[in-house]
Amino acid sequence: MVKKKWGIHQTRFLVLCCAFLLILINPFLNYYFQINTIQGWYQSFGVGKLWFVSPLEGLESILVSKQFFLPALIAMILPICLAVLLGSVYCSWLCPISFFSEIIDGLKKRLSGSKWITDKILLSRRILWFTLIAEVVLTMILGAPLFVFLSPPGLVGREIMTAVFFHTLAIEGVIIIVVVLGLNLLTRRFFCRYFCPLGATLNIIGAKRNLLLVQDVSICTSCTLCDQVCPLGLTPSQGMAESIYCWNCGECTAVCQPKAIVFQWGKGEEGG
Amino acid sequence: MKRRDFLKIAATSLSAAVLLPATVRSMALTKSPVETNRLRPPGSVPEEIFAGKCIRCGRCVEVCPYRSIYLLDIRAGIFAGTPLISAEETPCYLCMKCVEVCPTGTLLKIPQNETRMGIAVVNKHICHTWQSLIICRTCFDVCPYKETAITLNQLRPIVLEYSCVGCGICTHACPVTAEDGKKAINIEPIYAWERVQW
Repeated sequence: MVKKKWGIHQTRFLVLCCAFLLILINPFLNYYFQINTIQGWYQSFGVGKLWFVSPLEGLESILVSKQFFLPALIAMILPICLAVLLGSVYCSWLCPISFFSEIIDGLKKRLSGSKWITDKILLSRRILWFTLIAEVVLTMILGAPLFVFLSPPGLVGREIMTAVFFHTLAIEGVIIIVVVLGLNLLTRRFFCRYFCPLGATLNIIGAKRNLLLVQDVSICTSCTLCDQVCPLGLTPSQGMAESIYCWNCGECTAVCQPKAIVFQWGKGEEGG
Repeated sequence: MKRRDFLKIAATSLSAAVLLPATVRSMALTKSPVETNRLRPPGSVPEEIFAGKCIRCGRCVEVCPYRSIYLLDIRAGIFAGTPLISAEETPCYLCMKCVEVCPTGTLLKIPQNETRMGIAVVNKHICHTWQSLIICRTCFDVCPYKETAITLNQLRPIVLEYSCVGCGICTHACPVTAEDGKKAINIEPIYAWERVQW
């Protein structure tokens, strides 16, 4: 059975688990043991003096305050480099919302007994860009960044911290996380596909990424298994894995029997 | 029927768009949570750009050893997720750890004595010492900048506003609580309303 074998899906889920455990354990270390070496969650993450700032949140902060703050810019370098080289791997390999979505997908498969999940609502992918533009413009009009306090991945971290530190939960986080995860029941990654401004930002940054899922048309048997397994509903069988929307989760490589789709560094023959 | 549906949706969204600013204003979603005894952590930028600069990463809250800093939720509108200190509950003990970890410069690195979270103001109408009821000098005793930020004049406390850092330790310690929950010495965060210089 292919399902039982350890593959890229299992590796990715393990990475997602670790990434989630990191932001789950952190508040406890901070609160009960006063260990402040590792701090924060994926809006801003600090390991000692090494800081990370999420690119979209950092950009919003600059746009609204109209001021540059060097440490924030430096903290944005590493995440941006990661996205430039590897594409939006944050979304598929680290994001806590992705972690929950994977669990929901697993439960759905188990409950339905079917190996595949059908997506019920499909919209135009371009909505993603409109969301990003609308979010940035609205942010600048209001003079207050919106994504910083309404971002689902950020809210997961904030809710964990609020629960540990203040033994309560913030209402907006509960609502947004439940809605975002609930939409997964209709369409896999519904929010990520069409409405996540952070995902859109990382997609743009990673538009010319080095790590690509390249399809070898000569081997491909057009079985379209990859189209069915893609959590974003892309069609790798038609070369969409190289498009700007792909988040390099690598699910299609695992399911492809003739290994027609593989990870590749650089464009290969085209890049020369 | 289709056109009717469309018109219905258009009318609803239009009215929602028209009513939204009014709703927002009535709910005070853009009103700053900073007021008497509700202070920003040390080194804060003015309120004008605070909501814009802060990315709500919560690291100041996580690092605060006294748990003075807490996070606001969506009831604070666009200020949701920003840090705040309630002076009368847990004041700031000026350890200056939060300014070290803020990644966006919302809390700027400043020396302890240059912190200006506000100014302590004695309410002489309810202060027992000023009312000549008893001789209490609690605020003077607890002040980390004794004689520089607060002095006793004929045993009555007087705040020297140029040196007061606005940490709120005096407010926390003050034994007199008025009916509105305020103390006889309160912190007025006047520096939060400074204009930003570009």
